[in-house]
Amino acid sequence: MTTLRDLWEVSLALCLLAMAALLLLLLARVLSARLFDRTSASRRRLLPLLLDGDPAELEPLGKRELQTAADLTVEIAEMTRGSEREALLARATALGVTDLLIVQLRSRKAQSRLNAVEALSMFEGSHDHVTGALDDRNPDVRLTAALALAQHANAPAPLDIVNKLNVGAEENSLLLVSLMVDLAETDSEAVAGLLFEKDLSYRIKVAAMDALSQRGGEYAPLLAHMARDSGNEPDLQPRIFRALGRTGHPAGAEAIMEGLLSDNWAVRAAAAEAVGNTRLVAAADRLSALLNDPHYWVRYRASEALLRIGARGVSVLRDASRSEDPVVRSAASKMLAEGRA
Amino acid sequence: MTFDFAIPDPAAWMVASAEAIALVVIVAGLLQIVFYFVLLLYAGAALGTRPPVPRSATLWRRYSEQAPAISVLAPAFNEELTIVESTRSLLALQYPDFEVIVINDGSKDGTLARLVSEFGLEQVDRFVDRSVEHAPIRGFYASPRLPRLLVVDKENGGKADALNAGINCTRTALFCAIDADSILESDALLRVVRPFIDEPDLTIAAGGTIRIANGCKVDSGRISDIKLPRNFLALVQIVEYLRAFLMARVGLGKMQALTVISGAFGLFRRRQVVEVGGYSHGTVGEDMELVLKLHRLMREAKRDYRINFIAEPVCWTECPDTLSVLGRQRARWQRGALECFVKHKDMLFNPRYGRIGIVGFGHILLVDVLGPLLEVLGYILVPLLWALGLLALPWLLAFLAVTFMFGVSLSIATLVLEEIQLRRFPKARELAVLAVIAVLENFGYRQLSNLWRLQGWWQFIRKQQSWGTMTRKGFSAT
Repeated sequence: MTTLRDLWEVSLALCLLAMAALLLLLLARVLSARLFDRTSASRRRLLPLLLDGDPAELEPLGKRELQTAADLTVEIAEMTRGSEREALLARATALGVTDLLIVQLRSRKAQSRLNAVEALSMFEGSHDHVTGALDDRNPDVRLTAALALAQHANAPAPLDIVNKLNVGAEENSLLLVSLMVDLAETDSEAVAGLLFEKDLSYRIKVAAMDALSQRGGEYAPLLAHMARDSGNEPDLQPRIFRALGRTGHPAGAEAIMEGLLSDNWAVRAAAAEAVGNTRLVAAADRLSALLNDPHYWVRYRASEALLRIGARGVSVLRDASRSEDPVVRSAASKMLAEGRA
Repeated sequence: MTFDFAIPDPAAWMVASAEAIALVVIVAGLLQIVFYFVLLLYAGAALGTRPPVPRSATLWRRYSEQAPAISVLAPAFNEELTIVESTRSLLALQYPDFEVIVINDGSKDGTLARLVSEFGLEQVDRFVDRSVEHAPIRGFYASPRLPRLLVVDKENGGKADALNAGINCTRTALFCAIDADSILESDALLRVVRPFIDEPDLTIAAGGTIRIANGCKVDSGRISDIKLPRNFLALVQIVEYLRAFLMARVGLGKMQALTVISGAFGLFRRRQVVEVGGYSHGTVGEDMELVLKLHRLMREAKRDYRINFIAEPVCWTECPDTLSVLGRQRARWQRGALECFVKHKDMLFNPRYGRIGIVGFGHILLVDVLGPLLEVLGYILVPLLWALGLLALPWLLAFLAVTFMFGVSLSIATLVLEEIQLRRFPKARELAVLAVIAVLENFGYRQLSNLWRLQGWWQFIRKQQSWGTMTRKGFSAT
């Protein structure tokens, strides 16, 4: 019976505790409404200073207004570019915003550190602080620091960044592609070198390939070699074909033609997509054969590619639209109709 | 606590029986409460470790470059009055690469005609997949002026059937299933896609929060002023939705044991959905069924995967504000949960299905299957047995603790979590009103809700398959 009574008493206590917590929060909300008024007033006062103040005349702000100035700086910086943005950041530095952000790099909250890294990376001379954030305990903060550093010519070596991010174990984000694209801007050879690192995860290699494919035909031969050589990696191979297609370079033609004959439907579909991107007219007949592929995505990509490669492809589609095979006829006629629309 | 089950005489036997009944009811209630508090802790941890990004501009800067293309599937049935505004609102979503596919599910009103005339659509042809089953498609409508919009006109087959048609028409790796009459926040896609960006090889589905739009003002398909409704039932449902989404789903998502992603707003990887055959026909719980099928697929294939829930992407929906409509909805939800449970009962406590079998199905068993039965049994028997002198007062108090007091504290704690992490109610007064509702709902509404769920049980036993009628009033415009 004591346990039953305890249950009742615990439930009462919990109820009172929850209500007390909510009351406190309500009280905090009322007080913060006043704080909000004060913040709004601060924003109104700081805005002209940040937009038009003379950095030489600006004094460092007190603690209370500094966070508002930091928030405002980020908001305006997101909307500005070039000299306008540089002037804004110079004013923010004069007001003491960078000092606050450096302190926030040591915050207990990962979100605060992440925001601080993002904001600091906009300021000249913050390179060391942002580089230090590559050793942060939170993977999101590390990735943010890496993305920020990659936009500058003096970014650490791609392999060092990848190791700090612990890609594969802690970091698998699609943002790695953006990272590799930016790093490839300054050192594409080092990014290409990642493809040959045996111990690196599949995820970073895919990102590196995607980044290299955006550099036009420069890396098409390398990607073509990898596309052919990755037959034993069924998840990776279609991605290499897609990257190869994105280069749009004829150096990938032979590999793409082979890809159309793959046993793996995902590779056939990716190779057909690559044909469309590279406008590979010589593949028209093989694409035609894929119009009765058992897999929809292969039929769709093949018919789409035929439409994209021009007159020869359209001619193949027209012939196929008169085929006796209903699957071929449907794929060809519907794609022709889509092309007309 | 000691129990003596020896039967020295009939009176003692009756007391022992009464105590046994009360014990079952109290233990079941207590288990539910403990489970909910664990979920609350997990939800707090989930929100604490990865708090929402407050500004859309920041989200866009961070994620837009790599955000994968999404097809938004909006099934519509007799939505003539709202379809144009809903579609406009969808086309205005802030997302770098998306297509809106409105599926007219054999509407008997002018839904299709309104779409065609308002957006200047023409009949086109489209090469579509036939991987999942659905009723025949009658035509496609599009316009070169609106390359992001495709309208699919098909024969009526229900929501699951319409979504399957949409899945066959998508050409993107991800699709977002929504209700055509709901309103998505403009940055909702950018928020819900985050797990697919963070873990692209693992994430196969993600759900987002649904909020109640009753009382809010709507302007051009957007919520322009968040306000609480005046209707008591709508207010209670706000507290219920907070508990369901902010606590239960965020918590279960963190545990990787999420068993349902609401049909009103969920993002899925198309390939896995096609692998499980799309949405199931002949069930009223097709959204839950899809998630369970995805779990089964991945667990049986021993593939690593994630099904996540994100608290901040918001989809606004109109909730029922009359007892009859709400009752029908709740009975239907109960029936859907039972259908899914029975269909996949082999997953229950089956170690092969890991935490989804233990935690996810344990949750369904405790809350959806046994919950209403035992609670209603308790409401009838415990006070009666106490009044008859067969139960001592502490039994009654313990029953009141698990049915009322813990329920109140849990609802208030959810409000506390919402206030600390999300602060989605602009005024302190609104939070105070919800706190009062969180207390009041336990006295009357909760019992009624359990009766509706029993009705769902009864319909399930009788294999009743109808949807009932959801009468919508439409959002109030400014």
